[in-house]
Amino acid sequence: MLLSLTGLTVVAGLALGAVNYFTTEPIAKAREASRREAIAAVLPEFDNLEDIEYRSLKLYEASLNGNTIGIAVETYSDNGFSGRIDIMAGFDSEGALYGYRVLNHAETAGLGAKMGEWFQNDNVIGTTATIAVKADGGDVDAITGATITSRAFTDAINRAREAYENYSHDSK
Amino acid sequence: MKITAMTASKVLLDGIIKRNPTFVLLLGMCPTLGTTSSALTGMSMGLATMAVLTCSNAAISSIKNLVPAMVRIPAFIVVIASFVTILQMVMQAWTPGLYSNLGIFIPLIVVNCILLGRAEAFASKNSIWLSICDGLGTGAGFTIALTLIGLVRELLGAGSVFDFQVYDSSYAALLFILAPGAFIVLGLLIALFNRITNS
Amino acid sequence: MLEYLAIIFSAILVNNIVFAQFLGICPFIGVSKNLSSALGMGAAVTFVMAVSSAVTWLLQHYVLLPLGLAYVQTIAFILVIAVLVQMLEIIMKKTSPGLYAALGVFLPLITTNCAVLGVAIIIAQKDYDFVYSIVYAVATALGFALALMIMAGIRTQLSITDVPQPMRGVPVALITAGILAMAFMGFAGIKF
Repeated sequence: MLLSLTGLTVVAGLALGAVNYFTTEPIAKAREASRREAIAAVLPEFDNLEDIEYRSLKLYEASLNGNTIGIAVETYSDNGFSGRIDIMAGFDSEGALYGYRVLNHAETAGLGAKMGEWFQNDNVIGTTATIAVKADGGDVDAITGATITSRAFTDAINRAREAYENYSHDSK
Repeated sequence: MKITAMTASKVLLDGIIKRNPTFVLLLGMCPTLGTTSSALTGMSMGLATMAVLTCSNAAISSIKNLVPAMVRIPAFIVVIASFVTILQMVMQAWTPGLYSNLGIFIPLIVVNCILLGRAEAFASKNSIWLSICDGLGTGAGFTIALTLIGLVRELLGAGSVFDFQVYDSSYAALLFILAPGAFIVLGLLIALFNRITNS
Repeated sequence: MLEYLAIIFSAILVNNIVFAQFLGICPFIGVSKNLSSALGMGAAVTFVMAVSSAVTWLLQHYVLLPLGLAYVQTIAFILVIAVLVQMLEIIMKKTSPGLYAALGVFLPLITTNCAVLGVAIIIAQKDYDFVYSIVYAVATALGFALALMIMAGIRTQLSITDVPQPMRGVPVALITAGILAMAFMGFAGIKF
């Protein structure tokens, strides 16, 4: 009785080990591909990417033909309506926010979840200083009915900008 | 030969209508509510479950004479959990976007009462071929149910069908893609199914 | 201390396991018909969730991760839960037959309760530390028990009203759950 159960577990274990062996690399590749895709969406064209760990954030220095054309920052905010929001923010060589891509969130569908498209406007893209929603004295229109998410978004972007500016300053 | 063919197709059809896991057997409620905020995620969840169900039914049917009755539940769990883990790894490798959409509900296929239920009620007592048909039929019934619920919720709550915008989302009733909407749509659809099959 | 209070409040009300996360629905529908069975199931689930979260946490951090066996997580966790429930049944039969008679039929059901496995996986994914995990598990189970008891109360009332034939039983219970979920949405966004 115990023998059949053990035998079954051994067979199962072997099968899993085999599948794991074949999928470990594709899984890592898929992760890397989605990260590269997110970075490519927020920065101008580049041909080389350098991974940097800076003060508990991940930065990616992108260069074209040897010249740095921008830095992408994997930023976050814990102040989202439903918890943590992860955003990839890209800054070009002049320090302007070139683009952003929401990586991970648990915000309410139809409300906070709209932040992927809602903030793709001139009050966010192209800015060279910290941003804030209008209710906090800034220029950014918050998502209707999702002020908390909007504030968390600006918090994440500002965190990214701070990291970018500190890094640029430190590496000079 | 002919009798087997009729039984096989009967088994298949039963899984879709007479023994539809969602509307008749009322099994597998958790993923039904949690993954139907859009038609596409609902359908994907249904197909994933169908894949695991068919494989586990087949595997359990092929070892049914080797496993003593006392340990059959743990044995079924090992088989089902193995196939779910294989599905997890395969999806992570080749469909990562879908994998993160379905989230925690993929490993939770293990405790989806449908799988253990069909293993106990059918696969442990019937031939491999019929068990496969049962897996496909029940899985198809589950997929149809989830896709239907997802369609209703997505259309009413976001104004789109399979991500194709039908009407402007600002006219949509947001509630339907949130938690309460899941319960309400499921309840109403089960009532509708009862009404149709009883009249 | 405050962070424990925050997670308790969040797990019971804001992110209620049934009304917000859709876990534990099968027993929720099946066992909420009267208050005594709801209480019994709630108690049993709280115990199993607490113990299984502790054991799966230890398993994850001292066996699976160090050995690079993270992909065995699903199987390992569900087997732990199945074994725990079996052991609990045996212990309960011997030590308190009265309690076993009251809760006994629910115990095997807890193995397939997606809430128990779900909580174990969430704890592993969010990488909570040991004490935080136990607090989270117990609070989640209390949220489950709360949901069960509210439903039991309402369904006892519903059973004596005139419900249209196709809606009787599960459909009207689901619609009730939907309205309750709406009520619980009112807690969303509350933070300490």
